[in-house]
Amino acid sequence: MEKSEEKPGWRKGNFYVNPYLGGLMLGLVLLATFYITGRGLGASGAVKNTVVTTVHTLAPAHAESSHYYSKFLSTNTQPMNNWLVFEVLGVLAGAFLSGLIYNRLNFRIEHSPKITSRRRLIFAFAGGMLFGFGSQLARGCTSGAALSGMAVLSAAGFITMMAIFGTAYVFAYILRKNWI
Amino acid sequence: MNKRYLILSALLILAGIGLVILPQKSKNKELTPEELLMAIKDPSRFVSTDLITDRIIKKDPSLVIVDVRPAKEFKIFSLPGSVNIPMDSLLSGASMAILKPEGKDKVFCSDDDILADQAWQIFKRLNISNIFIMKTGVNGWINTIMKDNPPLPTEDSRAYDLYSFRKAARQYFQGKDATSSSNRQQNDNKDNPAVPKKEKLNLQKSTNTKPAGGGC
Amino acid sequence: MTGPLIPLGYIPEAWNNVFAVLLGMGFGFTLESSGFSSSRKIMGTFYGYDFVVLKVFFTAAITAVVGLLYLDQIGWADFSAMYVLPTYMAAAITGGVIMGMGFAMGGYCPGTSFCAVAIGKIDALLFSAGLLVGIFIFSEAFPLMEKIYESGNLGALRVNEALGISAGLFTFLLILIALGMFWVATIVQGKVKKVEY
Repeated sequence: MEKSEEKPGWRKGNFYVNPYLGGLMLGLVLLATFYITGRGLGASGAVKNTVVTTVHTLAPAHAESSHYYSKFLSTNTQPMNNWLVFEVLGVLAGAFLSGLIYNRLNFRIEHSPKITSRRRLIFAFAGGMLFGFGSQLARGCTSGAALSGMAVLSAAGFITMMAIFGTAYVFAYILRKNWI
Repeated sequence: MNKRYLILSALLILAGIGLVILPQKSKNKELTPEELLMAIKDPSRFVSTDLITDRIIKKDPSLVIVDVRPAKEFKIFSLPGSVNIPMDSLLSGASMAILKPEGKDKVFCSDDDILADQAWQIFKRLNISNIFIMKTGVNGWINTIMKDNPPLPTEDSRAYDLYSFRKAARQYFQGKDATSSSNRQQNDNKDNPAVPKKEKLNLQKSTNTKPAGGGC
Repeated sequence: MTGPLIPLGYIPEAWNNVFAVLLGMGFGFTLESSGFSSSRKIMGTFYGYDFVVLKVFFTAAITAVVGLLYLDQIGWADFSAMYVLPTYMAAAITGGVIMGMGFAMGGYCPGTSFCAVAIGKIDALLFSAGLLVGIFIFSEAFPLMEKIYESGNLGALRVNEALGISAGLFTFLLILIALGMFWVATIVQGKVKKVEY
């Protein structure tokens, strides 16, 4: 990892590590995750666990009778789902640390100058909804299904990756006014 | 900068070529006694009859049930979809072809779980992955799934859920038997006519050996 | 010691959550420092002005798979003991298409949105809230989706098995494809008008 924080340019908030170096570091983290735990990294699973736990707390009978929630309620699978919650807490901490080092910590809404903040926020929320929905159907998101799946050569990982990026290219063209 | 990338690309391609020409590591390197002991101590090698039932009903293609009882007993009664490999032909080439695929969960069963456990230990030692034992065996399966054991009124809701699951499973299998009662005795592992689900199943996966949902 | 360490019992289960936090930190740090906390940087891949997602994503996947296969070769890790997400063809494709739509609209994926939340992006916070709502809707609408969710189960299928080639050969082809994509991406990026963000 980068050590030479003395260089002034690194703290201007627009420095990013070389993408290949970043990819190598990410790959090593993923490799370590597989080596230690036998599973990959994830992100949407933690949100799912939050939803399941919340619904179970507020309406236990409803959660237990639902076919979907009940899949994740039995005591034995709980630790594995918790694993992802701890992992996501780590992600938040790690990203915060990186933001601190590279001087990127500030509250803001990032959007193209051609659109309003309001429009950006509405699209972000709608996009999140679709992503959350799709991640449950595909049993994982870009990290859990695509990236971790590809690392163990899972067919599902490659199919999901191609479906995500293929569709995103099509919709990015349709929505280009939002971004460029 | 450009030169550096070329060198890195060349290294990566070399690493790839290395993977192509290196021999496929033979998976049946035998386990040492220590490794075998560790594997035997792990209780997750046993799976419950309920979990197997659930996967049979869902027609899970990654499930292979290997019945190690003698062929005669297998003919009289066997689990739907199970394959018969009697103990004496356990190490034949045909049985290795069934047990080798890594992506499948191979579950041994016998009358109880003693014979199945012996078979498991032989294959564990040969370093065959994803093998399990059906706890309490075929007899246990009949007792838990095919017989009616209503829970006591004092038991909690989980016991009732389990009971209703078993009841639904029983209806499923008996419905299947009823439609194919003529060839019921030969009961080999092929073409049982599919019967639509009678009741939605809701299983508490309490002894799941693999996490139910995907990661992410 | 043969990996995976925790499932094979070399490290007690109790350490699981400690490793979860540490590995998560590594994950978050690398994502943020590569620029995945900026939706406009991420979206560059789809408009050709910044291919960081493509480069990081494929370099990471290749590093992990090459590393795992070599560790398996020298006997330090058991590749066959790693968890493989089961392949449900219809669900994977439909889910992927829905996620792709969400990606183009929101500009994040779940992992990157958490990174962006950590450095104070309000849009990412809304995206994460959307994730919660989307997952809640899916869970409630599950009876409608159950058929497609469970259909086309091919089990824990590996892509090289599906293609009938060895894992090593597939990885080699993957490396060639990725290097080709990096090369094309660099050329395209040089030609496309820079976007300030």
